[in-house]
Amino acid sequence: MKSIRSRLNLTIIGTLVLVLSLTAVFLYLRISQQVITVYDTSLFDKAKALISLTELDEEGLEFDFAEDGVMNEFELGPNSHYYQLWQLGTQLLIKSPSLLDSDLPLIGIGLDRHHFADVKLPDGRAGRLIEINFMPRVEIDDEEGAVEIPEPKPISLVYARERRTLDDTLFAIGLTIFTIVIVVLMATSLLVWQLVGRGLLPLSTLARQVSEIDESSLSARLSQQGEQSLEITPIIDQLNNFLERLQSAFEREKRFSSNVAHELRTPLSELKTLSEVGQMIPDDREQLTEFFRDVGEISNQMEKVVITLLELARSDAGLLNSDPQEILLSDFCDSIWQMAINEHEVSKNFVKHIPEGLTISTDREKFAMILSNIFVNAINYSPQEADIKLSVEIQNDYIVLRVKNVAADLRPEDIVHMKDRFWRKNKSQGKTSHSGLGLTLVYALARILKLDISLDLDSQSMFMVTISGVPLVLE
Amino acid sequence: MKILLVEDSIRLQRSLYAGLKRHGFSVDQAFDGEQALTYIKLNRYDTIILDLVLPKVHGLNVLSTMRSQGNNSQVLILSANDQTEDRIRGLDLGADDYMVKPFSFDELVSRLRALNRRHSGIKNPVLEIEGVKIDTVERQVSFNENVVSLTPHEFKLLEYLARRRGHVFSHDQLIDQLYDAASYVTRNAVEAHISSLRKRLKASGAPGLVKTRRGFGYLVE
Repeated sequence: MKSIRSRLNLTIIGTLVLVLSLTAVFLYLRISQQVITVYDTSLFDKAKALISLTELDEEGLEFDFAEDGVMNEFELGPNSHYYQLWQLGTQLLIKSPSLLDSDLPLIGIGLDRHHFADVKLPDGRAGRLIEINFMPRVEIDDEEGAVEIPEPKPISLVYARERRTLDDTLFAIGLTIFTIVIVVLMATSLLVWQLVGRGLLPLSTLARQVSEIDESSLSARLSQQGEQSLEITPIIDQLNNFLERLQSAFEREKRFSSNVAHELRTPLSELKTLSEVGQMIPDDREQLTEFFRDVGEISNQMEKVVITLLELARSDAGLLNSDPQEILLSDFCDSIWQMAINEHEVSKNFVKHIPEGLTISTDREKFAMILSNIFVNAINYSPQEADIKLSVEIQNDYIVLRVKNVAADLRPEDIVHMKDRFWRKNKSQGKTSHSGLGLTLVYALARILKLDISLDLDSQSMFMVTISGVPLVLE
Repeated sequence: MKILLVEDSIRLQRSLYAGLKRHGFSVDQAFDGEQALTYIKLNRYDTIILDLVLPKVHGLNVLSTMRSQGNNSQVLILSANDQTEDRIRGLDLGADDYMVKPFSFDELVSRLRALNRRHSGIKNPVLEIEGVKIDTVERQVSFNENVVSLTPHEFKLLEYLARRRGHVFSHDQLIDQLYDAASYVTRNAVEAHISSLRKRLKASGAPGLVKTRRGFGYLVE
């Protein structure tokens, strides 16, 4: 896996190499073309000079440049120049002494035209030539009167000389451009490496901070050092939000697992001890009968916890649906109350204010579970002989149900925790079979039935559960 | 060995009480922290089995209160809290052992015996006095390889006195230490148990072991 820094560096430096190379090649070609043009111009000028020294008079063609001492560069020597002239493209007229027995190449071009070409000189050096086709200048001497001058015929001139100076210049230019490109590339690469590194520093810092976070340090938060970066800030904010949610989910999960384990430990201990001690006293029928009764109670209690947890899991997974039916509220509340009070051998007064005939439309089973849990809590946490009041208020097409009871042990700060899973006012499991899941289930079921639940505790320790949003069936 | 069982679960209390009694322990029961502190104040216990999450007063508060009052009874914490920090807190506050629920009843009994041995300074679970071997694990007494048949009360008496050789214990002290609060044992019953114990030992050819110091009580020399 490549780092962003390496990828950016490679991309930028690669692009730079390409652009600089293309520029260098273009520059070299452009400059060398110019240098060659200048060189060729000098060849052309020299050829022009040779042409101007070629004349046709009554005696025929004269080549003044070939006279001794006029142009020594055409003599045989280490740096000789070469020329050769033909008439009508085939008939050799003259060639420079430097050529000896050799000939210069002749292509054959149109009149007044010329062309340049590279050539290997007779002495083996690399050279460049110009071939030019011209009509010789006719020289008429006015003083001698009318003379007969031969018909001028096109002459081909090939002039060549070595191109070492040109090649040296081109090499120097190429070397200079190459050196500049290499130096610029190295400097730029270094600069790019540094700048990319500096530019990516917030990202590197962020990566380091993120890599340092594990399940034991979920409380850590990411921060941006130095100048705030517009691109990094939203990432950090989002990651911090994500961490917040992750930490909270992790803690909830940990708390939940710990609570489940804790809830199951005591009944499991009871079962284990009952089993082990029961085996020690096979003759004590009375004690064994009591043990079996305890085993039955423990099983029921554990079954309740498991069923409630399953219901909550199904609710969390969105597997529970509402199946509304018409329910005669007063009778329904009476039956739920009766079931709740029958489970507890206590005396409480059920004070109900519900008009007869009031009908609601909701899921019978789930609404029964909601009411049952609220009644059981009211029965358990109110004093002996306490009144448990149930009242109803009609608001448009809905009703609001209120269950009130005195709960002396409750404190206002308890209200926020009451819907937490496994929350119990008294953590001890001694005399109660409560798991602390009842109100959690009530809230979960209310969500499915689209009901609102609110809890209140006034200064007289009157605890009130309000269920609102129960659809009323209008006659 | 006298034990105070502090546990808010009635069902666990019931089974532990029955099991511990079967193993010859004297057991008092407390169902909340407040009740436990009252029992601890009024009685002397060899060991207190203490749950932590208790109504009224938390188990750790019970422990720190009794320690601050100079009570040196051994404390075995029996809790559903399994975190290391819970154990450390309990042991640092003066508990002698910590067991996590769910637990094995046999292990609990073994630990109680180990605590008792540690407390009495006698590491060998088999006590030997004048050729009489008292196996505190098997709860069996033998002399010259012959088993001496004793009732649980007689064994309890013999073990208690044998562990505290040279110490004289009055009737009241023996009742207090060997029987739980609900037993209502009288002085006559203690005398009857000691008399029977001596007879059974002698019938097996063993020495009577339990001596009487008139006006003071009984001892094993």
